[in-house]
Amino acid sequence: MINLSDKRKNPDTTFNTNEFWVKSLTSPADEKVIAELRSKLIQGLKPALRKYVDRELDAFVEDIAQDSVLKILDKLQSFRGESAFTTWALKIAVREGLSELRRKKWNDISLHDLNYNSDENNAEIRSPVFSSSDPHPDQLTHEHMVLEQVMEIIDHQLSEKQKTAVHALLVQGMSSTVVAERMGLSRNALYKLIFDGRMSIKKKLEEAGIDVSEILQDG
Amino acid sequence: MKLNKAQLLSLIRGVVSTAPDEIGCDDCFDKLNEFAELELAGKKPEEAMPLIEKHLKKCRECCEEYEALLDSLRAIK
Repeated sequence: MINLSDKRKNPDTTFNTNEFWVKSLTSPADEKVIAELRSKLIQGLKPALRKYVDRELDAFVEDIAQDSVLKILDKLQSFRGESAFTTWALKIAVREGLSELRRKKWNDISLHDLNYNSDENNAEIRSPVFSSSDPHPDQLTHEHMVLEQVMEIIDHQLSEKQKTAVHALLVQGMSSTVVAERMGLSRNALYKLIFDGRMSIKKKLEEAGIDVSEILQDG
Repeated sequence: MKLNKAQLLSLIRGVVSTAPDEIGCDDCFDKLNEFAELELAGKKPEEAMPLIEKHLKKCRECCEEYEALLDSLRAIK
C-alpha cells in the first residue's frame, strides 16, 4: 500500500509509480498531479509533433495536452497497468495531437467531395490510366488484360461505401481519421470496411485464377 | 473514381497481403504502449506481438502515431 502523504514529499520518486498516478488522478483528482501530468504530456508532445506543426508549436501542444488530460481522466479506469502510466497517457495524447492536425489539414474537404458516384465513375475504374513508361507492347497487353480483370472484380466486389472510402484514401490520399469521421465511422470501423473489401477481392481473384504476381513485380 | 496504375497496383498489393487474422486500429491502439516499451527496451516487440507489427505496416496512421509515441517517450526519459 502506498503512503500518499510520504510519497508526495518526493515527487521524483512518486511519479514513477502507476498506482500513485491512478490514485492521485481518480476523482477528486489532485490538482498538483494533474499539473504534473500536463507537464509530462507537453514535454513528450513537443518533439513528437514538431515535424508536423509549422508554427505556434507551443500553443498547439498546450491545447492538446489540456484536451488529453481530460481524455485521460475519463479513461483512467481502463488503464490496466500493462505499461508505465506515462506511456499509456502519452499514447492517448499523441493520437489526440495527430488527429487534430489531420482534421486541420483536411478541413476544407466536405463529405460531398468524398462521394463516389457509381454511374459516373464505373467506366473510369475499368479504364486505369497507364504510365507512358510502360515497356513492351506484349507485356503491356498482358498487363492491361490482368488489370482490366482486376478492375472488373473490384467494381463488382466493393460496395458503394467501400468505393467511397477507397477513393478518399487511395485517390485523394486523405487521412483515415478524417475519412472515418466524414463517413460517420470510427477509424476501426473504416479499417474493417476496407479489410472486408480486400478479403472479398482476394477471394474472387483466387476463384477466378487471376495471377497478379507478375504485374506486381515491375510496380 | 479514377485509378491510375500506381493506385491500382497499390490496391492490388493491399489485397494480396490481406490476411484473415488482421487486427483493427482499436486492437493495435490498445497494445501500442506495451509495444513501444518493448521497442525502447531493446526487446523484439514484433516477435512478442506479431499482429501489432503487421497492422503497423498496413495502417499509415497507426504507424505515424507509433513513431510519434516513440519520439515522445524518448523525450521524457
